[in-house]
Amino acid sequence: MTPLAGRGVGIGWRPEISGFVAELPGLRFVEVIAESLPHSGAPPEALAKLLASGVAVVPHGVKLSLGGAEPVDPHRVDHLAQAARAVNAPLVSEHIAYVRAGGVEAGHLLPLPRSREAVDAVVANVARTTAELDVPLALEPIAALFEWPDDELTEAEFLTEILERTDALLLLDIANVYANALNRGEDPADLLARLPLERMAYVHVAGGRLHEGRYHDTHTDPVPGEVLELLGELCARQRPPAILLERDGHYPPAAALRAELDALSAATGYPAITGTPAR
Amino acid sequence: MVAGAGVPTGFDAGAVAATQTALLRKRSEDVARTWPRLAASAGHGQWARTFSAWAAGRAPQGSLRDGWDYARAHPPRDAAAARELALRELLWAYDGETAPRPRRGPAARLHTGELLLRWRGRTLTYRLR
Repeated sequence: MTPLAGRGVGIGWRPEISGFVAELPGLRFVEVIAESLPHSGAPPEALAKLLASGVAVVPHGVKLSLGGAEPVDPHRVDHLAQAARAVNAPLVSEHIAYVRAGGVEAGHLLPLPRSREAVDAVVANVARTTAELDVPLALEPIAALFEWPDDELTEAEFLTEILERTDALLLLDIANVYANALNRGEDPADLLARLPLERMAYVHVAGGRLHEGRYHDTHTDPVPGEVLELLGELCARQRPPAILLERDGHYPPAAALRAELDALSAATGYPAITGTPAR
Repeated sequence: MVAGAGVPTGFDAGAVAATQTALLRKRSEDVARTWPRLAASAGHGQWARTFSAWAAGRAPQGSLRDGWDYARAHPPRDAAAARELALRELLWAYDGETAPRPRRGPAARLHTGELLLRWRGRTLTYRLR
């Protein structure tokens, strides 16, 4: 049984939209940025209320840097494990990426070279992380605007090898699949056909925008229709156990957020969580 | 990528430049969350461009220090932004090189007709007539 089975459509909980999230009548799960939770003690009151009402909370790490050449910081791993305990999480998630190198913080997720050496580094860091976790870990492939020269593996090979060797679950971001395919001039359906979709724990959907010919996965723009279409293709191939909308700024009016959540329900066939009657 | 080094050979320079632009935009959004008045003082929709132009090639130091360094390099003329900076300076000692440390003990500052007090690690403000 996959940890989020039956949880349907969720949303990334952020303090700025906590009032909106609290009033979603059908909500069964949210994600919270793991680094935003206190290292010890109770979670924020608004999250505690959601937990008390039976909503599952998934800590989503963004700064572990699992793809860094150096071992993951034990303090950050401990924080993720503590966060999972604090919210009684069914699982946690992190990215296949690096966020710092040589003591410099990039401030965002950056892509790894798709080499066997990088696979080994990620596998070792995932092992260091899961050793401290009481719950499963889902790994999320990122959207990248650039690639390293001379990649040895395709993205599908790279991801599949990491997932198989770590036995981690897959957090598939369908907007990232769309972004990477568009920016490389590839067909996003090809990647879907080659990924181990049976490992999906849940799926992310976020907005983005085209800027100077490249698609930027901004999380601050509306979800494009093309991404929703790709989500439909994914569901036709294999419906994910749960799906989550990520929004990280430039928050739109509540009606627009509700419409995006309803669009996720329509694309996946999961019940609407907004209280809006299904059409 | 973030500290101004050149693009290594073999990389698509356009793709790397797009990534640098995206990283600067993300960084400007993070700083705007920590320094909302400073960001607003750039004018509607101008912060990302204004901050990025200054931050390009400077290694990120976290949003607190990035915004602080920017504010010291461009002392805000906007009243709300100047007050935001004054309140930070009241609570924290920042040498421009290492992480800001909380200042100890009580203190008082006069800032454009307002009395700013530090008391037990918090600020109290009084508008003077």
